[in-house]
Amino acid sequence: MNAGSALKPLRSLLPVLVILALIALVPLFSPSNRFLSLAISAGINVIALYGLSVLFGQTGILSMGHAALVGVSAYAAAILARDFGVGFWVALPVAAVASAIFAMIVGVPSLRVGGHHFVIMTFAFGQLLAIVLTNGGDYTGAATGLDIAGPVTLFGADVTELTRYYLMVVAFVTVAAVASWAIIHSSYGRTLRAIRENEKLAASLGINVGRHKIGAFVVSGVFAGVSGVLLAYFLGHISPSQFSSFPSIYLALMVMIGGARLIEGPLAGGILVAFLPEVLNLDPVQSRIVYGICLIAVIMLLPDGLIGGIVRALRGLFAGKAKQEAERDAAPSEARR
Amino acid sequence: MSPILAISGLSKQFGGVTALAGVDLAIEEGEILGVVGPNGSGKTTLFNVVTGVHKPSGGTVLFRGRDITGLAPHAISRAGIGYTFQQAMAFAGLGVLENVQIAGEHARAGGTANPWPTPQALLDFVGLSALGGEKAGVLPFGSLRLLGLALALATRPSLLLLDEPAAGLNDRETTALVGLVRQLPGHGITVCVIDHDMKLMQMLCRRLAVLDFGSKIADGPTEAVLADPKVLDVYLGGDL
Ligand SMILES: Nc1ncnc2c1ncn2[C@@H]1O[C@H](COP(=O)(O)OP(=O)(O)OP(=O)(O)O)[C@@H](O)[C@H]1O
Ligand SMILES: [Mg+2]
Repeated sequence: MNAGSALKPLRSLLPVLVILALIALVPLFSPSNRFLSLAISAGINVIALYGLSVLFGQTGILSMGHAALVGVSAYAAAILARDFGVGFWVALPVAAVASAIFAMIVGVPSLRVGGHHFVIMTFAFGQLLAIVLTNGGDYTGAATGLDIAGPVTLFGADVTELTRYYLMVVAFVTVAAVASWAIIHSSYGRTLRAIRENEKLAASLGINVGRHKIGAFVVSGVFAGVSGVLLAYFLGHISPSQFSSFPSIYLALMVMIGGARLIEGPLAGGILVAFLPEVLNLDPVQSRIVYGICLIAVIMLLPDGLIGGIVRALRGLFAGKAKQEAERDAAPSEARR
Repeated sequence: MSPILAISGLSKQFGGVTALAGVDLAIEEGEILGVVGPNGSGKTTLFNVVTGVHKPSGGTVLFRGRDITGLAPHAISRAGIGYTFQQAMAFAGLGVLENVQIAGEHARAGGTANPWPTPQALLDFVGLSALGGEKAGVLPFGSLRLLGLALALATRPSLLLLDEPAAGLNDRETTALVGLVRQLPGHGITVCVIDHDMKLMQMLCRRLAVLDFGSKIADGPTEAVLADPKVLDVYLGGDL
């Protein structure tokens, strides 16, 4: 492989890195606390969305219980802090692994039945988790949930303060984006896309379809896990309803609106869904209606999501240039013998 | 010499339908064996059961002496059996070259020829090298069939099962395909091919097996089988 073809995928990462760098500069304009809080929530969602984009965008399977995976790690972080005095940085990997294990427990039976059943199974597991948490007595704090106290420190500095937490979340979003990009451009990502395109053919070519689907779900669980720990420490209090069906549907909606296959998609979807009600001044009921309409519009008009649609529109505008690029792009891969 | 594939008593029921009724068939190393029979006689089912797409209702399949009965499709592919489906298919949303790269990445190590041809060389072999950068979904039907062949070859098979590889191809494409398939035994790949086109089968196969209602009714040298009254009976009014 020559340097040119190695650099080509890097180019696709660049726009996201530039956008994230700009987002990291926002505190310079002394934004309101409300803005920062919204942005932090959006960022925490975006981390989970990058996992969902590997699952849905690459592998073609949709989880309708993804908030449950976020919830597992949020609760794990809270319980670790309460019972073992474990802090943020230790809870982070432990809780991420907990989410990954939960994903495997859900994934093994669900993915075996295959196809549309997976959507229903993940939805059911999500509901089940909310029920278990609600009925978990003092251990899970029942319907009230759990408090999670304790500062988050980084290199000795307290990052619990809003602006610092914001910057830390932006850093985690960056890591999530790069990780998702690396997966997409690896041979593993290619295997997942093959499964998305045609399972029967993939299996006939030696791909263990079931194992890779479970693997993709587990990978998405790790992203969800990181998201959950950040959420628990940000909110300081978690409760079962945060991880039930509506939040799960919202996550699926965000990734679809943004576009699951492109690296900019999760970022766009997460930001849009977080800020749209604020910008349009909608109450919760109105915003649900607007999201519903958005989702239908995206599914019908923009199969690759908003970002995919914008890219396509730009391609249309610069058709000649895009064609040239496509030809240039094809060249190095052909030379790769 | 023991056969590369030994099928014995293989049966398959779909609900009340008996698609295979206890078939015995041996494929010899290095040959191109033809399997023919009327529509619905169980040819595709035979391949599907051998490659793990369907679980057999009974019987055994030995590949180089190893029992592979009922293994998952990916395991059978990795054991060294390639399969092209009756329905031509590829990963439509992915590039043509990328398709072949994927197919090669999950193959068993080794293979008969060493080193195995690269994905690009396989595209050259089937005559699609100029289309490597295209999306597989935009290929014309004939090219899609050839891509299917390249995909199966990329898995480094020592036995290749082709289900109606020439269906939907024009004369020129069919001739090209015959040329390609004939080369395979020379590269260490045994072939078993299903087709309805008897001219094609006569060109390719020195031996034919005939299925009718899920049973094997004839098996032997092509000319003898095609002159067999039982076979003529099955094809009465057909295209023989
Ligand atoms: N998945 C399935 N479910 C139910 N019945 C099936 C299935 N696959 C095949 N059959 C039935 O099994 C019998 C054999 O079908 P098969 O496809 O093996 O025939 P074939 O010889 O390949 O025919 P053709 O020449 O038309 O391709 C038919 O009666 C068919 O309807
Ligand atoms: Mg058939």
